[in-house]
Amino acid sequence: MIEFLDVYRQHFGEWVPELLVACIGTLQLMALSFMLAAIIGLAIALMRVSRSRLLQAIAVVYVEVMRGMPALVILFLIYFGLGGLGIEWLKFTSYQAAVLGLGLQGGAVLGEVFRSGIEALHSGQMEAALSLGMAPATAMRWIILPQAGRIVLPPVANYAIGLLKDTAICAIIAAPELMLRAKDIASSSFRPMHLFVLAAILYFIMSYPLSIMARRLEARLARDR
Amino acid sequence: MPAAAPNFWVVFWAKLPYFLSVLLGAAGTTIKVMLGALAVALTLGLIVALLKLARLVPLRWIANVYIEVMRGTPALTQLFIIYFGLSDLGIDIPPVPAAIIGLGMNGAAYVAEIYRAGILAIHEGQVEAALSLGMTPINAMRFIILPQAIRLMLPPLCNYAVSLLKDTSLASVVAAPEIMFFARQLVTETLLSMDIYLVVAVLYLCMSIPMSRLVAYLERARRAWQ
Repeated sequence: MIEFLDVYRQHFGEWVPELLVACIGTLQLMALSFMLAAIIGLAIALMRVSRSRLLQAIAVVYVEVMRGMPALVILFLIYFGLGGLGIEWLKFTSYQAAVLGLGLQGGAVLGEVFRSGIEALHSGQMEAALSLGMAPATAMRWIILPQAGRIVLPPVANYAIGLLKDTAICAIIAAPELMLRAKDIASSSFRPMHLFVLAAILYFIMSYPLSIMARRLEARLARDR
Repeated sequence: MPAAAPNFWVVFWAKLPYFLSVLLGAAGTTIKVMLGALAVALTLGLIVALLKLARLVPLRWIANVYIEVMRGTPALTQLFIIYFGLSDLGIDIPPVPAAIIGLGMNGAAYVAEIYRAGILAIHEGQVEAALSLGMTPINAMRFIILPQAIRLMLPPLCNYAVSLLKDTSLASVVAAPEIMFFARQLVTETLLSMDIYLVVAVLYLCMSIPMSRLVAYLERARRAWQ
């Protein structure tokens, strides 16, 4: 055990800065795919609650297909599949493919979250606001969105935690992030256990604040009800 | 390259039987890894849940740390530690058992929370009522608590099984011969990456969509019952 820890002491200055830089790649990847997922998710949720049967059906199929596949398959389809077709504009870098793949799948997850948030609000809320003389946009802004936003916050935070961990699989298509860097250093230094444990610690440091936040949000929401 | 479009599907249909024969064979390993990991998660999860509900504070602590660590780190990192990390320390676990242990240990943290929520959701008045009616504690557990707790836990457990099925694709990186592993081999062999990953996507959908339909049905049943 002492011997094991001693290796860390020897290589600390060489490994940790490199991995910290890679963490920035991970967080960036997470932020970009989160934004993409939020945009797609909002569109999917609005399609689900729309009156058009066609839009509803498209949204349902999208959600089922995206959630039914492993994220790894989506990444491979985009990176190797589209990239292998020989069409110039379908060739993505591994980083672009990672953002696109995680964002497309996240859109399905967030779409369901947003939809449940909108549907959780009683329709009487909107009617009451309108009958008090509020304009529909004002009612949406002051009555519906604040309530729906609070309802969806905990699941959105949970999704963000899952997303952070999912960025690790982007290492498999060689997108520059933490896991890839850890793998590279592990194979050049022949110390896989040390590097992967270090990577796990770094992931934990990034995800734990998020999970505390998610729990607080959940507790507050439960209390307010 | 407009001419590529018809060409693509000609090649796709011609090669489809070959791809299917390879990938369907690999689906057996996918299911094996999934069922193995499910068994590990259900058993280990029960232990963790009981630890978390224990009266002794250190036991609760162990359960908490286990759950936080397993849920706070990517499953891929855990697999790498178990397969590459342990082998570095002289403990060699073959790919399939490594994948089963890794995914199972990861899942145990989620399953433990499901068990705990299910047990806590049953009001203690239920036990007291059953006991005061003259039921033995075992009978109360058997006829009052468990039937209700299982109904509560079944939908989230099935939900977990669906995500586990998708997570088995990670086993390919530790060289467990499941669908993704053979898909990557087929790609190196034929270079038809789009065709192969499309087949892979459809295969996963064929397995996961019926499962998620079942979850939706169980959810509805639970809500109707509550």
